[in-house]
Amino acid sequence: MSGPKTSRSSLEGEKNRPAAAAAAAREPMNVLIVGVGGQGVIMVSKALAWLAQSKGFEVKQSEVHGMAKRGGSVFSHVRFGAQVFSPTIPQGEADILVALEWAEGLRWLPYLKAESGIFICDTKRIVPPFACLNRRPGAPLRYSRETPAEVKAHVAEGYAVDATAMAERLGNERAANVVLIGALSSALEFSAAEWEKAISAFVPKKTVAVNLEAFRLGRAWIDEARTESPQAEASPEPRLPGAEAPVQVRLEITRAWCKSCDICVKVCPERCLRLDAERIAELTDPAKCTGCRLCEFLCPDFAIRVHREASPERDGARA
Amino acid sequence: MILDKAADFDVRKYLRLEMMPHFLCPGCGHGIALRALLWALDELDQDKDKLAVVSGIGCAGRLSAYIDANTFHVTHGRALAYASGLALARADLRVVVISGDGDCLAIGGNHLIHACRRNLNLTCLMLNNEVYGMTGGQVSPTTSAAMLTTTTPLGNSEPSFDACALAAAAGAGFVGREVTYHLPKLKELIKAGLEHPGFAFIEVLSDCTEIFGRKNELGSSAEMIMRQTSDLRPSAYRDTVEAPFRPNELATGVLARNDRPEYGTAYRNAARAIKAAAERRGGK
Repeated sequence: MSGPKTSRSSLEGEKNRPAAAAAAAREPMNVLIVGVGGQGVIMVSKALAWLAQSKGFEVKQSEVHGMAKRGGSVFSHVRFGAQVFSPTIPQGEADILVALEWAEGLRWLPYLKAESGIFICDTKRIVPPFACLNRRPGAPLRYSRETPAEVKAHVAEGYAVDATAMAERLGNERAANVVLIGALSSALEFSAAEWEKAISAFVPKKTVAVNLEAFRLGRAWIDEARTESPQAEASPEPRLPGAEAPVQVRLEITRAWCKSCDICVKVCPERCLRLDAERIAELTDPAKCTGCRLCEFLCPDFAIRVHREASPERDGARA
Repeated sequence: MILDKAADFDVRKYLRLEMMPHFLCPGCGHGIALRALLWALDELDQDKDKLAVVSGIGCAGRLSAYIDANTFHVTHGRALAYASGLALARADLRVVVISGDGDCLAIGGNHLIHACRRNLNLTCLMLNNEVYGMTGGQVSPTTSAAMLTTTTPLGNSEPSFDACALAAAAGAGFVGREVTYHLPKLKELIKAGLEHPGFAFIEVLSDCTEIFGRKNELGSSAEMIMRQTSDLRPSAYRDTVEAPFRPNELATGVLARNDRPEYGTAYRNAARAIKAAAERRGGK
């Protein structure tokens, strides 16, 4: 993971430090942009920083982006104003939180100003590997269960936008971040034309047209949402392959064939096998067994057979 | 998905249940190799009456006795010779040879290279455990350098054979290698070998835990089987045999493949042509 990076715009600001009284009036604007690696978090923050800089503000931007290629958490702090000191936004000080992924948005909510913060979040769900800790087939995901309505009740101003679906309809899912720029743009005082110039400068040349369209779509969506305050629909629960049918696993162990070689006990990824008092393999915790068949595969004596049967009820208690 | 396919396979379908449990030592990798072979046969919907398994002498040679099919347990090293005759006489059978490293490379070394040369439609499974296990742990042609056996008490100083390179050089149509730890991959490799029209030589890296492992203090059978993958070349499935043998790094997967004419078909075609020519002459 690379460390935070800062970029500063105006060296003149350093020379003329304002009086303490004047500083209060010049509180910088704090925009926090978060998401999952690959979604374009950095691109959004760069466009914003570039635009703010071109309007003569002092800008500081810092980010953690090392997880980008691994689908990990990526965030970027953008602060701009007459004068900016710290490159990072303290907890509870962000004016605007833009999240490109639903759970990442929830993760960063404490950074939002409690009384006036604006929360703009894509309802796109990217399930991280640690939400799939329970490897039993059919086990429930440990992804956040909060609905957009529940979250919006906790923030001063909240918008849950299905930006990914909107971008998909435009023909390029990857323009979702620009849809969110569109939503962000109405909360800041830069004009639409200036935003479009910034976007054109940062997206690949071939995709300028679709991105500008995405921007207009996002901007129009949030203007509409401001007047109507509609309840945006959450995207459906993500599904994992093979997770649909809950199954029950049963191990059939032929005691007469087991030669106590211990291979099954040692290779079991869930550590739910052992040798009993007579040194014959036995399953200690049937609830742990995922039915991966490694013990069956590697038993040289054909003493283990794994049966995966349809479960009578969904194993929801283990969530 | 591999795991779901496994649900339909019950190894007992191909076992002689009255012979079970088998005679192999606890933790012997040969049992896993046998499962891979039976699984591959099951996926090919092999009719048991159309399957012939020939094996020589040794721990691996004994495996044919547990397969519920036409099985021949023949003399030491001569499994390929018997199998060649069988495959020539009965082209309708699928003939599989199970052999050990000593059986296949030492006593039967000549039969191996000539079976490769002829490219007869056979599948030869060589279970390599680096030692003569059944006779008490003598050094074999594949024993790694410096390993202790009952006949090399100071460590093996002979260079070892790379059986796959040997088979490929002798002209085998299909050459592959896999470890028992990767059972689904081993099954796929054996299946590809069985489907190959010609001589398929497959080296299975197995473990002798009770004799070789104990003598060399290689740990429990579980430790031995989990160590199998540590010597593997990371880019498995390379089409080459120009790879150093154990213990440095090991190429696995399909190592050589060629489409030379299958000997049995070529022989029958030639015989038919000669017969037809003779009939024409006799008819005149």
